[in-house]
Amino acid sequence: MKKSNKKVLIAVLVLLASVGFLIYRGLANTSVYYMTAGELKTSTLGRQLGADQTVRVGGLVVDGSIDYNQRDLSLRFSIKDENNPQEVIDALYNGAKPDAFEPEIEALLEGTYDRDKNLFLADTLLVKCPSKYESEQENPKEARQ
Amino acid sequence: MITFGNFSQAAALFFTLLSMGLLLCGLSRNNVRLVQAGKRALISAAIATTLASIALAYLFLTDNFSVEYVASYSDRALPLFYKLTAFWAGQKGSLLFWAWVLSLFIALVIFNNRREADDRNTPYVYLVLAGTLAFFLFLLCAVSSPFETLGFLPRDGQGLNPMLQNPGMIFHPPTLFLGYIGFTIPFAYAIAAMITGNTGADWIRKTRAWNVLSWIFLSIGIILGGQWAYVELGWGGYWAWDPVENASFIPWLVSTAFIHTAIIQERRGIMKVWNMVLIQLTFLLCIFGTYLVRSGILQSVHDFGSTGLGGYFLVFMLVAMIGGIYLLAESYSEFRTPGSIESYLSRESTFLFNNVVLLALAFATLLGTIFPILSEIVTGNKITVGQPFFNQVNTPLFLILLLLTGICPLIGWRKASATNLKRNFLGPALTALVCGFIMLAFGVTQPYALLAFLLSAFVGATIVQEYLTAIRSRKKLTGESSASAGLRLLWKMRRRYGGHIVHFGLAMMVIGIAASSAYKLEKQGTLRQGESMSIGDFELKYESFRQYEKFNRTIYAATLGVFRDGNRIDELDAERRYYINAKQPTTEVAIRSTLAQDLYVTMPGIGQGNEITLKVAVNPLLIWIWFGSFLMVIGGILAIIPSRRKAS
Repeated sequence: MKKSNKKVLIAVLVLLASVGFLIYRGLANTSVYYMTAGELKTSTLGRQLGADQTVRVGGLVVDGSIDYNQRDLSLRFSIKDENNPQEVIDALYNGAKPDAFEPEIEALLEGTYDRDKNLFLADTLLVKCPSKYESEQENPKEARQ
Repeated sequence: MITFGNFSQAAALFFTLLSMGLLLCGLSRNNVRLVQAGKRALISAAIATTLASIALAYLFLTDNFSVEYVASYSDRALPLFYKLTAFWAGQKGSLLFWAWVLSLFIALVIFNNRREADDRNTPYVYLVLAGTLAFFLFLLCAVSSPFETLGFLPRDGQGLNPMLQNPGMIFHPPTLFLGYIGFTIPFAYAIAAMITGNTGADWIRKTRAWNVLSWIFLSIGIILGGQWAYVELGWGGYWAWDPVENASFIPWLVSTAFIHTAIIQERRGIMKVWNMVLIQLTFLLCIFGTYLVRSGILQSVHDFGSTGLGGYFLVFMLVAMIGGIYLLAESYSEFRTPGSIESYLSRESTFLFNNVVLLALAFATLLGTIFPILSEIVTGNKITVGQPFFNQVNTPLFLILLLLTGICPLIGWRKASATNLKRNFLGPALTALVCGFIMLAFGVTQPYALLAFLLSAFVGATIVQEYLTAIRSRKKLTGESSASAGLRLLWKMRRRYGGHIVHFGLAMMVIGIAASSAYKLEKQGTLRQGESMSIGDFELKYESFRQYEKFNRTIYAATLGVFRDGNRIDELDAERRYYINAKQPTTEVAIRSTLAQDLYVTMPGIGQGNEITLKVAVNPLLIWIWFGSFLMVIGGILAIIPSRRKAS
């Protein structure tokens, strides 16, 4: 191998190694578990989570549970597991209520879970746009009758 | 019209399959006339998809709600313009749009080559193109037809999602598609070159305009998406590393890499295999992007949901991938080249490093995007990574890329001499350092932001220096004035300066991105009429409230006076809109844009007594992102304007 090629090769390898390190560090620092409300409450992994460990949880907003204080910008609600609706978690989010937020909508929360109070403190709240781009749960046949 | 649409679609599929048959026969019998007939069949397919598209547009314009797709995305109250654009608002229509554009592109390729005699490659090119078209037409005819009827006539449609009733959103999907689809053509040429063993840069030269054009469309599509998110979604950002956004960004990164190494192959005849890999990867990632949005396998704020098409796309990608790998392995020996990079201090090597970084960015983004799926397969638990992952990994990589962007034009091809380097580097490096110190003096201490500013200044300075030197030597040569020498140079060497303008735009974008992400101010508050809140240098006073009807919506608007140093400098209207047919209100963003910063206001809530909740942000230098992206597009266009003396 020519000397110049060797140098290029070494530079590329160094570059690749640092990329690998960046990705490894990024994953180690930022990855969080995702689970459904039911899994967070009952699964072994869910139970092992520390009270200060960030986790992402998904569930449906329980009808009648929404309590929004516009003055203080605090939003209290409960989410239930889509498949096990009896598993319910209370949640608190400090911020403005998103437009699409309404009962029975799928919500994604990221934050920490206080198991003793069954309270999820959400730092971020994402709701799936109900119509998405495709109105899948809304069959026009039914909607129009 | 419905029957007509169905019929046209089916006819298009028929013609495409017919053309594949004719091309295959023509190839095996070495019959030119059969190949010609195959091309004509492809043109017929293009006409048929055009007719199908006209049919769908007609159904939208005439409010034919007996068609399921029309009923789902339109209603009587929808403005005419949006009725037309609802065409691609959903999955099925966008699929037809895709097939239509691809068939037109194919017709355009045939038209462009009308004067050239077919070489050994062309039948294969058309065969690959026809195969791709056939796949999309098959999906349209057999799986997901936009002409499906409900079996009854509803009184009205369900209307278009209000968030899609925005110019940015209207042009975002089609431009993105044009980019995705455009890469099919260089891909087809690459496959053909591998089959016939035509190892030269011929396929690259022939498809250069397609490559750059597709890249431009992809860029515009991504930018429009970001702009739409910024002005319409109202969460204050333009990019969130959402899976759907990443799906378009990953092929952009790989195609950017390809555009760079394609130049090396053109000039030096090396990196042939590498380019083959890159163009195939670009094509696959484009298909992967369309797949991701339709598969429902990832949690995204905005995907199509599960559409039942995922499996078909997976199979198509697998076929393309295995075919590509097989052909590459078959023709590998022919594509190996004796040439190599002569020095690590050469333009070739900076291109190589740029490729490594771009692919690393693509890999990291892809990994982060599909990590929940991977982790579930490996560990059984879903592990997600969010914005912090992408920011942590990609930011340093982008800074390296920026550094390379600055260094590259300073280094000559083959091998650069040390004295040459020193002379070229001095000016830009000093400029960058001075800029860095000025930024420090202004209190910019965030290391990544500081580096981003410094490197952007470096990139800008190298480009300006190169341009000024070239102007000076041209003046000496021709005796023109500086202005005319400058303009003539831009035009005469537009391929080079187009590239420089793209890089200059990139540097501007980086400045905007760094400033607006590192020094963003955000605040929420609830105000009664007459109250005010402050953010940064600004003070916002809630002055008045009104409610009115317009087109298909009711609008609630709060007028906010904008004050700085006690003077009322402007006013903003924050709005909430209630669309007929939509279940929830939408927030309309109010933005006051200046070169220095954007004042960004949304009103997520209106309470009793018209008490309003405001989300306010100050985004420094944000407009630079849009300026920079505009320059990138202009530069790209400049670079592909063909010269008048066409090589004939």
